[in-house]
Order: sequence, then structure tokens, then C-alpha cells
Amino acid sequence: MAESALTIDGITVSFDGFKAVDGVSMVIEDGELRVLIGANGAGKTTLMDLISGKTKSTDGTVYLFDEDITNKQEFEIARAGIGRKFQIPSVFRDLTVRENLSVAATPSPNVSRNLGFGLPADARDKLGEIIELTALGDVLSKRAGDLSHGQVQWLELGMIIVQNARVILLDEPTAGMTQGETRKTSEIINRLKGQHTILVVEHDMSFVREIAEKITVMHLGKVLAEGPIADIEANAAVRAAYLGKGGIH
Amino acid sequence: MNQRFFDRHRIAEIAVYLAFIAVVLAMPAFIDEFTLNRFSKYLVYGMLGIAIALSWGYAGILNLGQGLFFGLGAYMVATSLKLQSYTSLQQGSDTPVPDFMLWNAQPGAPTDLCCITDGSFLWLPFQAQWFGIAMAIVLPTLVAFLVGSAIFRLRISGVYVAIITLALVLLVRPLIIEFQPVTNGFNGLTDLGWLTFGGFEFDPYLVETYYVIAIPTVLVLLGARWLVATRAGLILQATRDDANRARYLGFSVAAYQVFFFSVSAAIAGFAGMLYVVASEFASPTFMDIAFSISMLVWAAVGGRRSLLGACIGAILINSISAAASETEMLQEAWKAILGLIFILGVLFLPRGLAGLGHDFIEWLPLGRRGATRPQNGNAGSEPAE
Amino acid sequence: MADTIFIGLSLASILLLVALGLTITYGAMGVINMAHGELVMIGAYTAVMAAIYLKLNMILAIPLAFLVAAGLGLLIERLVIRHLYGRILDTLLATWGISLLLQQAIRLEFGLSFINIHVEGLGSGLQNLSVPEFLNQAYDLGGFTVQPYRSFIIVVTIALAALTWFLMYKTRIGIQVRAIMRNPQMAAAFGIDVRQVSALTFAYGSGLAGVAGVMLAGFKTVSPDMGSSLVVDGFLVVVMGGVGSLLGSAAAAGLLGEINGIIAMVTNDIFARAVVFALVIAVIMWRPNGLFSFKGR
Repeated sequence: MAESALTIDGITVSFDGFKAVDGVSMVIEDGELRVLIGANGAGKTTLMDLISGKTKSTDGTVYLFDEDITNKQEFEIARAGIGRKFQIPSVFRDLTVRENLSVAATPSPNVSRNLGFGLPADARDKLGEIIELTALGDVLSKRAGDLSHGQVQWLELGMIIVQNARVILLDEPTAGMTQGETRKTSEIINRLKGQHTILVVEHDMSFVREIAEKITVMHLGKVLAEGPIADIEANAAVRAAYLGKGGIH
Repeated sequence: MNQRFFDRHRIAEIAVYLAFIAVVLAMPAFIDEFTLNRFSKYLVYGMLGIAIALSWGYAGILNLGQGLFFGLGAYMVATSLKLQSYTSLQQGSDTPVPDFMLWNAQPGAPTDLCCITDGSFLWLPFQAQWFGIAMAIVLPTLVAFLVGSAIFRLRISGVYVAIITLALVLLVRPLIIEFQPVTNGFNGLTDLGWLTFGGFEFDPYLVETYYVIAIPTVLVLLGARWLVATRAGLILQATRDDANRARYLGFSVAAYQVFFFSVSAAIAGFAGMLYVVASEFASPTFMDIAFSISMLVWAAVGGRRSLLGACIGAILINSISAAASETEMLQEAWKAILGLIFILGVLFLPRGLAGLGHDFIEWLPLGRRGATRPQNGNAGSEPAE
Repeated sequence: MADTIFIGLSLASILLLVALGLTITYGAMGVINMAHGELVMIGAYTAVMAAIYLKLNMILAIPLAFLVAAGLGLLIERLVIRHLYGRILDTLLATWGISLLLQQAIRLEFGLSFINIHVEGLGSGLQNLSVPEFLNQAYDLGGFTVQPYRSFIIVVTIALAALTWFLMYKTRIGIQVRAIMRNPQMAAAFGIDVRQVSALTFAYGSGLAGVAGVMLAGFKTVSPDMGSSLVVDGFLVVVMGGVGSLLGSAAAAGLLGEINGIIAMVTNDIFARAVVFALVIAVIMWRPNGLFSFKGR
């Protein structure tokens, strides 16, 4: 059995008494691609907020490999090796695509170590790979704010990969995409399988079928079910709670 | 890489920098000592423009109290120079004592810097000129570092930073006036001695003194340009565009903001020091709100995201102001025109003169076009609040 | 002690009077109007001119000053502010230019001084406004000397604050303004004429500045640059109170006024101002959204 990359143990957060995430535990193995599904308000995005440090938990722990990253600051968690892509894509809009990727590829976060120019050779190589993977080669000197919706999504994805995150959190990576863009995104994600550990929140079930190995279903802040996609689709509790109106579609 | 490095905008930028530096260094050949002295003050304002562009344009930190750092730098060096003034040496004591301290002294107080007035002992280390010079940079940097650490770690941004920096300068200004026995209150420090190195006295109307100001201005310009071109400078701009994205990439946004805020303060303090060398006084008016806002005007007119643009904007506006102040009527009219320029500039030319220059270079029919990104950014997309 | 509290209250009412217009223009519309102080100044000059040319006493000048300042505010909104919504720091810079223009307009007598025509009541000199007799006589109330003019300011401030509250919370247009405050796009989608309402709101906030000007003219000399320090105080009150919160502004003005009054009594005015600014910084750092806040645009 592979080493566990992300271990979440009883994580809980309550907002004024309302438990948005309530005692969620899950283990994601190194190199695994896990899909998180659930109805609106099930707590998927909040769980990502808890892992990445945007929201502080009231109880429970999060481990990245052997490191306890519970409730650390966002940049500390990011340095520990968690990369996050947001539902509403966020890139540096006034910088060029190349500059965006260069910032992400900068090996050291310290101010004092960044008082020089350019990137080391290995970071440059990595940058080249990502440009090829995300097919952004033609728009490198374009302002990120002038890119199409799909390109912005791939740029953000590329930034997270080039930052060398060991665990990648993707919040609805295909939201608002055309079919063609969705297909390309699933290609990118499939190519990352095995090299990175990935946790994806997604609504689009056809996309989920294309990429998923194992699925976790959340409902009202708790884990309802976990398993391979066939099991989940057959699970009575999942059907009752979440898929009641016509099953998975 | 080469294709990107030598696009038309890069070439134009290098050309403009070289031309500017050449003009600044050659200036003494064209104008008399009196005008040269005036021009050296505009160079100091140009340095302030650079400081503003760095914090406002590149870091996205709108500092409405840059005058605080300028004033602190000015007062530090003026303290040392005051002790070198003839009047300070002639107060009947073996060591120099500023004249105003005598006027403020309690009857019977000893005529000595140690205890002539409450707090006069603070002046003791300033008897060494190097101490005043060092403090002119160290103190503003330290204050900026402490203030910056407090506000940026709390993730205060946008308008709130503007209000805090505004309140800060409003807080310090009355205190300087209040501690008259040490600062000479409203009157400020006047009747200063000259900066002296190795027996050479830098009379503000000497060409040598002009270079004491001009060369540092050029160095600060190049240094700041180098800084924003480094990885750190790029990351800083990234934090300006989207602080959260930068955080999730592992960068401590606060660390970058504090660093560049402090650098900007150091430049302002340095400028304050050079201003004193040229003008021979330090005054609480340096900390007037109107002065701090004027600096923003200069930078905005020149181009808030262009270091050289902001620098030239400052020099240009101050030169015109001075020319206009020849007659009183013209001076008043100029203020109104300045107001109008500012309104029209914000409305129609948010990237300032630098943006105009960029668009001109882009328009020139010179074969292949350069990068599509405006060199000086897109000022319309101010970081949200 | 009662005297000190009264002086604090009077300082607070002036602060609130100036800040009231800003809670509208900044709080509701996200415009940092650096020319707000100049609108106050215009209000003061309106009263001065009305006294000279129309022989109006200052109380009758209040509605006139409201209209003049509101009209000017409308003009500013139409010509400049309208193009800058959402660019909050740019509004600060552009309105600073407007403040320079307005100051110079008064100082140069709308340009007439270039052709050597001088208008009584304008120009760079100081002007004074006489206060009606009944507001000048201090009288005794159980051993406590009542300053009638200061009391008058307090009363006017309370009345204007109440009126503003009523307009914002009890009228149709107030609901529209508050809808725009929270989400302009959504408000537009619900059929609110955002441009029209914004313009009127800005005009109302400017009109309040005009009234403040008349009140200030009653106890301060009137000069072209009288407004420049006011705007900063006003902003500190609004930000400290919580942007967009009328109650917050009132509380912040009360707090700052009283603290200023009490500390000025114990030490001096300059030190009191320093303490006030330190307090403002502390509050913003402790609660960046102010004492009373909600999430807005």
C-alpha cells in the first residue's frame, strides 16, 4: 500500500453553531486522484478551505504526509506542498502568462533570495514542460487578464503544477467551460495522475467518469460514502440523500 | 529569450533612461548655480516620485503619508547640520548648542546640549555628522518596517492603508510641533551648517553639491529599476494583482509588502536628507497632508507604474510650478490648472506620461510589434479596494 | 466636568456634520471625495454672499447653501465621478484635483480677478458671517452656562442625522440606495436606475456638506482653504465608525469629540489631536471594517 499523502482526521468547523464540515475523515494515498462530490452546501469547498488554510478549523487535524498542517497560514501550507485552484480562477491579471508561470516556478519564497534575475535551470525545464502541457506557448507574452476563460483556467492549473505541489486541490476545474475545453482539461488532469496527488471537487458527472478512480460523497458536512465510481452509483444512501431526483446524470 | 529582451519597448526604455541620466549629469553645463540649486530640489522630488511609484504602482500600497518618511529623513540630517552652524558654535559653550534651545531653556539651565532643555540630550549623538546621515535613512526605514509589519500582517489593504498612513503623518506632525524644545516647533530647523566631508563644505550653490544630489538620484533610479526587475519585484507585482493567489503559491505577501514599503520609505528618507542639503532647512510643513498628496499627483501625472515616469512627472510639475510662481497671479492660476490636469489625467490618461510614451512607441510603424502588455501596466485595473 | 463634556459634544457634532455627507458619498457610493471639505467651504461662502447681497440671515441661508452645494455635487458627479465608480483610489485623486479647482475658483473670484474685477465676499481674504442675536447670548441654566450657538449646532446635527436616517431607512429611494451599496449590478437587474440614484445620492451628500459650511461659518472665519483639513477628520470618523453605517459615524464622532475635548482639557489641543489619530489607527487595525460594519461593494 502506498504512503498516504493527505490525511484528514475528524476535521470540523462551525460558523456560529452551524457545522459546515462535521468530523470529516479521509485518507488520500500518494499519487491518487480523488473526486469529491455532493450537493450544494454539502461542505466540499469548505473542506478545501480547511485543508488550504483559508478557514481555520474548530476541531480535527490535517496531515500532509507526516507534517501536521492544521490551521497554519495559507502560505505555510502552500510551502508545505499543497496547491489550490479556485472555483473562480485567480491569476495575476496584469502580468503576462510567462510572468505568471515564472512567479509560480520561483523556488524560494524568501524576499532576500529573490533579489536576482531569472530562474534556475531545473525550474526553467519544468516551466517548459508545463507550457507544453497547458498549450499556452502562443500566448506567453499576453496579459493574463486578456486570456479566454479556458486559457485562464489552464494557466492557473499550470501555475499550481509548476509550483511543485505534492497535493493539488481543484475546485470545479471545468466550471463554465465549453465541451472542448472540458475535454482538454480532463486530458491535462489525466496526464498528472500518478505524478501528483489530486483532490477534485466536481459537479459534471461525465467529467467525473472520465477522470475518477475513487469518489467521496459528502452530505450535510459529513462523509456519506466512499468508493469506486460503480459502487457509489449503486449506493442506496447516496441515491436517497443526493441523487434522489433521477440518479447520477 | 532574446526576442523578448530586445523588443521595441525595451529599447525605447533603455534609450529614455540613458537620455534622462545624460541630461541630469550634464545639467551644470547649461544653467547657472542659482537655477542648478533649484533643479537639484526638483531631482529630490523626482526621487520621491520613484518612492511613490515603487509603493503605489508596483506594490499597490497607496501611502498618503509619504511625507512622514521624507520629514524624518530631513529632520535627522538637519539636526546634525544645525550643530555645525556658526550660531550653534557661538552660544558660549565648548560644544555647539542650537540657538533656539537657548530661547527655550529654563532660567539657570546649563548651556550644554546634555541638559539645556528637556530632551536636548537626544541631540548629543548628532554631533557626529555621520550619525545624522545614517539616521536619515535608518529611522524612516525602521518606522516603515514596524508600521508595515503591523498593518500588512493584519492583511489591511487598499483604502485602509491609505487612511492609516494618513493618520500616522497627522499624528507625528503635531508631536514635532509640540516638542518645541527639541525640534523648534513650527519654525523647524533653519540656519543650518553645510554638509562637510574631509574639510570640503558643500555650499548648496556649488556644482559639487549638485552632484551630491544628482548622482544619488540616478543611483536610486537605477537601483529601484533593478529591484522591480528581480524575481522579488515580479512577485511583488503578483501580490498586488492578487494577494490570495500569491499566498496559495507559498509567498508571504506581508513579507514582500513590508520589504518594499520599507525600501520606499528609505528612498523618501534619503530624499529628505538631500533636500536639506540643497535647501538648508527642515520644517514641519514636510509633513503636511497636501505635500504627501502632491507626491501622488506627480507620480500619477508621470505614470504611477513607471519609476522614471513618476520621477520625470515630479521634476516637470515642480519646474512648471516654479516658473509659474514668478508672478502671484500666475501662481494662483497654475494651482487651478494643476487641479484640472489632475482630473483630466485620472479620467483620460490613467497611465500618465509613461503610458502615453508607451502607446507612442507601440504606434510607431517599425516592423514587428513588441509585447502586447503595456510596459507600465494597466492603471485602470487598480487592485480592488 | 459638564463643561468639558459639552465642549466634547460640540466638537463631536461638528465632526459628525462634516462626516454625515461622507457617510453617504463614501459609505454608500465608494467615492473618496477629497473635495468634500471644499463643498463645506462653498456652503460657508454661500452664507457669506447671501448675507451681503440678499441680506439673508444665516438660518435662511441654510437651505440655500444646501441647494448650491447639492447642485455643485450633481455637476461633479456627472462630469467626473460617474466615470470612476469602482476605482476608489482614483476617485480620491480626481476629487483632490476638484478641491484645488474649487479653492482657486473662490480665491480668484471665478477668474474675474484676472481682469481686475473684485467681488465682495470672495477672494483670498478672510470673511466673517454674523450670527443672529438670539444665538449669541450665553445664558445660565442652573449654574451651567449654555452656549447657544454651540447648542444650535448640536441640534442641527441631530436633526440632519435623523433626516438622513429617515431618508435611508424609511423611504423608497433610501432602500434603492442601500440596495446599490450592497450590490450595484443586482440593483440594476431589479430595475433600479443606478445612475440616477447615484447622482442624487451624491448630490444629497454634497448638500449636507453645504449645510455644515453654514454652521462652521457661524463660529470660524471663512477662507478658501478652510475645508482642506475638515475632509481628513471626516474620513477618519467614517472609516472608524464603519463604512456605510450612520450609527457608526455618530458613535465615532461622539467618541473622538469627547476624547479630544477631555484630553485637550488635561493637556493641550495639539496633543489631543495626536491622541485622536493614534486612536483611529488603533481602531482600524483592531477592526479594519470599523466599529459597525457590514459587507458591501
